[in-house]
Amino acid sequence: MTSSRTIAVIVPAKDEAAVIRHVLLRIPRQIDGMAVISIVVDDGSSDATAAVATDCGAYVLRHLTNLGVGAATRTGLRAALTLGANIIVTMDGDGQHDPEEIERLVRCLVEGPFDVVIGSRLLTPHGMPKVRVAANLVMNAVTFVVYRKIVSDSQSGFKAFTRGAAEKLELRSRGYEICSEIVGEIYRKGLRYKSLPVKAVYTAYSQGKGQHFLNGVNLLIELFIRLLRRV
Amino acid sequence: MLALASKIFSVLLAAIALSKSYVDFRGRLESFPMFVFWTVTWLLIVTFALFPSLVDILLSFSGTERAGLGTFFGMALVFLYFVVYRIYVKLERIEQNLTKTIQELALRENWVKRP
Repeated sequence: MTSSRTIAVIVPAKDEAAVIRHVLLRIPRQIDGMAVISIVVDDGSSDATAAVATDCGAYVLRHLTNLGVGAATRTGLRAALTLGANIIVTMDGDGQHDPEEIERLVRCLVEGPFDVVIGSRLLTPHGMPKVRVAANLVMNAVTFVVYRKIVSDSQSGFKAFTRGAAEKLELRSRGYEICSEIVGEIYRKGLRYKSLPVKAVYTAYSQGKGQHFLNGVNLLIELFIRLLRRV
Repeated sequence: MLALASKIFSVLLAAIALSKSYVDFRGRLESFPMFVFWTVTWLLIVTFALFPSLVDILLSFSGTERAGLGTFFGMALVFLYFVVYRIYVKLERIEQNLTKTIQELALRENWVKRP
């Protein structure tokens, strides 16, 4: 267990050995006197992701086989709560999010009065491919239909939670649909949230690792099934 | 011509499914009752595909001559959807259990001690 106030940064990762060092080493060690720890959930990688993350001083949890980013995030949330984290941040391991922006998300949460801060790529979508902007707007609409909550970037994996909010989340998703499910939980649990503009770093690597068209189709199917379950 | 093509297609599909089922059974990936179930099911499908007139004979036993093939295939479709639904439910349950098991294993490992 950690003793003082702690911020846990969860990084779900699969086969990210090439970039994860760059991501982890740029995560601030301290924010406003609070210690920052990194938790990498290695989601069945076949490369040296876990070894590199361990080398960077992160807590590393390993899934024996690939379960999906949703399951990895859930494992990370449990680990962060076990470690006694007061604030929990989730971010992608492919370098799409700028670790230096963690500070802004955390400060927004600390200054309050919010339970969740969502890093929104769509509030200032400069440099974001138009196809991605369109796809994310469609997913915002689908998320609204399924979960009755509209946010500016429902598919953002860059979020900050207070401990209380993280404890309230009841998540079941295994895949990318976890982002929409979290939006649903914000609505269901009456959590106070704010969308904060963040920049998305689109490199050839992160675009290759991001959601593909078929993942999008799977995501829509998963959300459709959830909609049916609600009826 | 179309009738012949559909017969060949059914036989080929059945042959693939049966051989896959047999290989799984030999590799102990499929239980004996399931192997028998799929074998009988596919043999019935092939039989009806090769001799569609058998459907009329079966329907005449039930006294519903006028119902015809449409009713028969409608019922078959409903049954198939039921099977797909059951498979989906079971698959979902298995995936949930697998996820839970792997997450528990990850959280039980000695991850708290950093190097």
